[in-house]
Amino acid sequence: MGLKEELLTLKEEITKNLEKASNIQTLEEVRTQFLGKKGRLKHILKTLGKLSPEERKEIGKLANSIKEYIEQQIKEKENILKNLLLQEKLQKEKVDITLPSFWLDIGASHPVISTLVEISEIFLSMGFSIEEGPEIEFEEYNFDMLNIPKDHPARDMQDTFFLNNGMLLRTHTSPVQIRTMLKRNPPIAMIAPGRVYRKDADPTHSPMFHQIEGLMIDKDITFKDLKGILKIFLENVFGKDIPIRFRPSYFPFTEPSAEVDIGCTVCKGKGCRVCKGTGWLEILGCGMVDPNVFKAVDIDPEEYTGFAFGLGIERITMLKYQIGDIRILFENNMNFNNQFKGLR
Amino acid sequence: MKVPYSWIKEFLDIEIPADKVAEKLNTTGIEAVSYKFGQYIPGLTTVKVLSVKKHPEKERLLITKVTDGKKEYQVITADQNIKEGQVVILAKTGAKLPNREIKPVTFGNIQSQGMFVSLQELGIEESSEGIFVLDEDTPIGIDASKLLGLGEEDIIEIEITPNRADVLSVKGLAREIGAIFDIKRKEKYPIVSIMQEIIPQIQLKTEKTYRYRGVIIKNIEVTQSPLNIRLRLIKAGQKPINNIVDATNYILLQEGQPLHAFDLDKIQGQIIVRQAKDGETITTLDREERKLKKTDIVIADEEKPIAIAGIIGGENTKVDQNTKNILLEAAVFDSISIRKTAKRLAVSTESSYRFERGVDIENLPNAQDKAVELILKTTQGKAVGEKDIYPKPYTPKLIHLREKTVLKVLGEVILKEESKEILERLEIPTEITDEGTVSTIPAFRKFDLEREIDLVEEVGRLKGFDNFAPSYPKLSLEGFKKSEEFKFEVQARDFLRANGLTEVVNYTFVGEQIYKTLGIEPPKIRIVNYLLKSQSIMRDNLAVSLIQTFQENIKYQNKDISIFEISSAFFPKHEEIRIGILVHGNIIKGYKYTQGENQFSTSVTWDFLKLKGLIESYIHSLGIFDILYKKTNIPYLHPFHSAQIDIQNQNIGYIGKIHPEKAQKLEIPENTYVAELKLRYIPRDLKEEPLKKGYLYTLYKQKDTVIFKELPKYPSVKRDLAFLVDENLELDKLIKALKESSKLIDKVELFDVYFVENGKKSIAFSVEFRASDRSLSDEEVNQEVENIIKQLQKSFKGLTLRV
Ligand SMILES: [Zn+2]
Repeated sequence: MGLKEELLTLKEEITKNLEKASNIQTLEEVRTQFLGKKGRLKHILKTLGKLSPEERKEIGKLANSIKEYIEQQIKEKENILKNLLLQEKLQKEKVDITLPSFWLDIGASHPVISTLVEISEIFLSMGFSIEEGPEIEFEEYNFDMLNIPKDHPARDMQDTFFLNNGMLLRTHTSPVQIRTMLKRNPPIAMIAPGRVYRKDADPTHSPMFHQIEGLMIDKDITFKDLKGILKIFLENVFGKDIPIRFRPSYFPFTEPSAEVDIGCTVCKGKGCRVCKGTGWLEILGCGMVDPNVFKAVDIDPEEYTGFAFGLGIERITMLKYQIGDIRILFENNMNFNNQFKGLR
Repeated sequence: MKVPYSWIKEFLDIEIPADKVAEKLNTTGIEAVSYKFGQYIPGLTTVKVLSVKKHPEKERLLITKVTDGKKEYQVITADQNIKEGQVVILAKTGAKLPNREIKPVTFGNIQSQGMFVSLQELGIEESSEGIFVLDEDTPIGIDASKLLGLGEEDIIEIEITPNRADVLSVKGLAREIGAIFDIKRKEKYPIVSIMQEIIPQIQLKTEKTYRYRGVIIKNIEVTQSPLNIRLRLIKAGQKPINNIVDATNYILLQEGQPLHAFDLDKIQGQIIVRQAKDGETITTLDREERKLKKTDIVIADEEKPIAIAGIIGGENTKVDQNTKNILLEAAVFDSISIRKTAKRLAVSTESSYRFERGVDIENLPNAQDKAVELILKTTQGKAVGEKDIYPKPYTPKLIHLREKTVLKVLGEVILKEESKEILERLEIPTEITDEGTVSTIPAFRKFDLEREIDLVEEVGRLKGFDNFAPSYPKLSLEGFKKSEEFKFEVQARDFLRANGLTEVVNYTFVGEQIYKTLGIEPPKIRIVNYLLKSQSIMRDNLAVSLIQTFQENIKYQNKDISIFEISSAFFPKHEEIRIGILVHGNIIKGYKYTQGENQFSTSVTWDFLKLKGLIESYIHSLGIFDILYKKTNIPYLHPFHSAQIDIQNQNIGYIGKIHPEKAQKLEIPENTYVAELKLRYIPRDLKEEPLKKGYLYTLYKQKDTVIFKELPKYPSVKRDLAFLVDENLELDKLIKALKESSKLIDKVELFDVYFVENGKKSIAFSVEFRASDRSLSDEEVNQEVENIIKQLQKSFKGLTLRV
């Protein structure tokens, strides 16, 4: 058998062996067997010196092409095997993607605080500032300076908790108006969110609840401006098409005063249990700051006018989430609270 | 206040349906609803009682014979007041009363063909004492439902705001409705003649009585009021009593003027209107003995008080069946005085309710004369004398309303002519001036119309607030103020929720018990008029509330809990906004999973270090990093498992495990952890600065800004160092000493702590050495480590390096 034949047989043999190789190891064996230092190709090439220059050239060429061919084949086979191996590894690492996750879940928001923050942010974005005051208040700030004199029936509108230190639990966030006006000069555009207290407990009244007070004072603030601001606010909370009506009412610290109703969100104005059949829901109280309040804080009512409003957060929260009994808001039963994970 | 619409029509020619009237009242400032009086009940007829006799067997029953004019009926009744000649209402067999249907019944073999009804049974009175007896001249055989107006008569019920005393009467409401619909009000004035034969002897001895008028009526007879009067009272929600009392109530409702009738023969001598004497007592009409104070006004005779002025009459001078002569009082008393007395005595009557809000002093004689007229219509008798004491007659106030003020406040141009027209509809005489109008305020509006602004409101509300188009104010940026405190709290809340804690809102008042159980002194600030004793103390920490919330949740079977509250704690001079946290059990509740080498258990349970980590992470989020923990002795915390949290030597809160003994008393699990952080200081005194020391917000506001440090240029060399130290050594100190022991130390990380025998523990750190100007050689680092150990051994006795 001549070298040429030997080389061709070798090529055939290798091709067969490669086909049989089922893993990287056997592939490596094939490689050393044929291409290694002591491999068969080397062995054949060693005998090349015995040939004539012409034959050497021809056989050398052939040997090189076979070498290239084999290398190519091994590489391809290697790729195939590596890919198989990878597939196997991936298979092994498979995970049930539907398994329950393993991470901290977000805690729930309290719906009242969530509403309070939402409303505050609407006014913040309109340029109102947020002011605050203590919950234990002086009678003077809570009543007297708000034009609610002692022994006036208006004081009955708010059943007050009195404290043994001669002060009281504020019955509304309105004293923050007074505090702000005493500290700063107009123009003022502020809201005061916070806890307030009244001696009342039933399905619609809680002895502690939350309010947001608003106040805007400048040289040309009118009742129509009050309507404008409240319209923007209510449309942002209840949607663009919410019907709004202003009913004249009475609050000692505003004149004129109004109560604002929105179209019942439950029955869309047709009349239902929630709106007691009227189609309207009372949502907030408002009015133009009474000149007596301005006088109490030393602002000239001939120069400045302003409006004020106050709204109960629980009422809006209860409407939003269709909660019937106010008391559940303060029971802090996790079965209730955890329903509000998705709230801001 | 309930008002039959027909009564209003006596003052107004109005044909507008009642529901439209109510709707309009609502939109102009009086809350109103309208509904029908009762429900039409078929099968009710008026009958005359022909005879009454005792039931032969049943002791308490009477057998009556009655007639409807066509047919006789036998009716059995238990009402002992039934008398021959009376006209009553018979519910015939088949009549459907609100609560039952009438069926023929037999009592001891005797059949009853129907039933006499009371107002309660007709569903128009809460409780009735007996069957309803009509007037003797009431036609018989007619539909009694129709006679009473059941399901037919319109009732308008209103609720007034405290400023609108003028609407607290049929006449006042008619005036308001007239103004709304622009209908002129009418009035029928009384025709009475009061002789001046016996002038009442009245002395006014208190300044708190502004007018007092007495009329003596003699030779009257106390009887039942005529049906039309009684029905009016019933429809207005009142109980008829007798013709005298009914007349005073009727006029009170119609005119808003409280009246009182005394039995003249029970009065000893003169009438004296005076301040009471401290300790003086009177038994009032409700049979309560009441102790008076000198701030109360009383009507007295020469011996004793006979009425608490403006509030309630005395039993001693009460009009009864035998009364023959009366003194009819009409007065106006000081609102504040009446209010104080009524509040103190906890009595509220139709009379006190009106006096507290204000009564039309000018209408007094008119109203009283109408009462005299009404009494004399129901009985014979004669008004024999009258005395009116009115020291300071009403002088009306003039109020100017400028067009420019209307525009300035309402933002709407309303011409003076229109203002005049509106005000005159309200019966307020008004003239045009250069600048606007001037009004003469009548006595019935003197309580709420005192200033120009009050007239702006009248004009505005009658024009209708809904008719003003909204406008949008230009916000003056001059008043702009950042609202950082609010954002600070919102961020804290977002952080805590993102870390798995659920927000709660607790009442800020608690009971004494929780303080006792926790072994801490309850705070001094208390609610005097609390609703519940368990809600009477203003809390001075949030833990008391959070612990109770946990207790409640254990009842709801919620055993794992991770909650927080951002709310107030109360102190004598200030309030604090705090974060309160309570955790127990699993933060992550998972499951065991095994798949070959793949194995995990996903539950993570709260412990001291995890809560500490959460709090640190929050404080780091504020850009504050130097936090120190010190031993604390809060009684409700585990003494060796709790710490106070200090930043810059200011205590800003605490963290700890609930004391096992307290946990047992509280019936909560032992591994419960609480923490509180003081966020902000809220002063009560306006002059006090809120940025006080000891609060996170203050530290946050005053912290230094971050200044960028150059990144390291040379590589670091790592060494693991393990020390044996005393087991009681606080690690914090060792770490601090280690860090300070060499300038070349860049980073120290704890990686192993374990307690070995004989009172020692092994502590292993990974320490990174780095110089800013060169690469460190091994030799250099070895040398440095030796130095460090020598230094540490000086400060920590018995410290050795483990090899
Ligand atoms: Zn509705």
